[in-house]
Amino acid sequence: MKGLWWKLLATLLLLYTAIIGLRTPLGPAIVQTSVSRIAPGPLELDVWGYGTHFNSDQPRAWLVNDSQRVCASNITAIAGDHMKVFFDVPAGLRKQMTDLQVFNGTDGLVTRYAAFYTDSLGGGIAEHPCVGGKSLELAYTFPNRDILNESIRNLFFHVPMWFTMVTLMAIGVWKSIRALRTNSLDEDRAAASAVGTGLVFGVLGLISGSLWARVTWETWWTTDPKLNGAAAGVLIYLAYLVLRGSVPEPAKRARLSAIYSIFAFAFMLLFFFVLPRLNDSLHPGNGGNPAFNTYDLDNRLRSVFYPACLGWILLGIWMYQLRDRLARVQTRHSDANDQ
Amino acid sequence: MRTINRTLTLIILSLASAATFAQPGQENWLVDTMYKSGKINTVVAVVAVLIAGLATWMFMMDRKVRRMEKELDKR
Repeated sequence: MKGLWWKLLATLLLLYTAIIGLRTPLGPAIVQTSVSRIAPGPLELDVWGYGTHFNSDQPRAWLVNDSQRVCASNITAIAGDHMKVFFDVPAGLRKQMTDLQVFNGTDGLVTRYAAFYTDSLGGGIAEHPCVGGKSLELAYTFPNRDILNESIRNLFFHVPMWFTMVTLMAIGVWKSIRALRTNSLDEDRAAASAVGTGLVFGVLGLISGSLWARVTWETWWTTDPKLNGAAAGVLIYLAYLVLRGSVPEPAKRARLSAIYSIFAFAFMLLFFFVLPRLNDSLHPGNGGNPAFNTYDLDNRLRSVFYPACLGWILLGIWMYQLRDRLARVQTRHSDANDQ
Repeated sequence: MRTINRTLTLIILSLASAATFAQPGQENWLVDTMYKSGKINTVVAVVAVLIAGLATWMFMMDRKVRRMEKELDKR
């Protein structure tokens, strides 16, 4: 059927997102150590991993402080995800935070940055070089980030909600401008349909973001500028619906809401993309935080994230068209009844 | 109403059959990776919210279309 191909594409992209985005395993990572502070002297350390193979061949472990290394004196693997590592921690390490690095033949190099606060700092240690190891080219995995862990998959579900909302609101502005230029009530109806559908995605974005925040930031809501900006953006568009509901005369309603929609879009872009960048934010790409596209978003995440965005946006446009087609039939019907 | 009941029963029964597939101990890969940190539940919750939200939208559209159909049938 004509005009059906992109709806099929949307379905396939979302299927791909669900299957690859949920099934791809995470890479190996160290998720927990028995202590978080080290002092000079012998240290017996329990290390717990996630997706790791500690009982694989060539096990190695060492501490890194200001590029100086302290090698493990002994390593005992208890399970693939649990091992005991013994160190003789020397006095005089230079920096406050010490990293932990482990290596084995299956996982390659696995690093836990800033794993330990370091006591008895000094001017450096006498180094005894030990065998290190490189990161291996692993099978297709997603990066296993600290704190995020499995929830990194929400990238394919939470973030595209906002892209879809912005796309639909952009369609709303375009239709609003056409409504002002042509004085056509059809364009006004289309604009209202686009905004109404965009709001569905805005609300879903807020709820899914709140759930994600509960696990990563341990609160349902923070005063993060991006969160409050997103809420303000959604509220501005809710006010659009209120405005439409409060003007009974169709031609007047079309003009007023078209002008409001143009301003609302500008404010939404300001709240979503400009203000959070000027303030410190917990979201990537804002304030002091690095953007997802510098090093957080690696190519393997991209290979699902971009299809996911396109899939969700196409679904949003599909929903908007259905809504608008129904609204058109309703208007035609009531016009016919009035005559 | 009967159609809704039937659909719900179908969904619940298919979910139950999916649960029996996931026998403990058989899928070491899943147990060792996804389930261990518990953070996969956040993803499950987010996906569930999206599906529930889209389903709500479908029901609202369904109601609007049905009302329209009744209007047209009246003529």
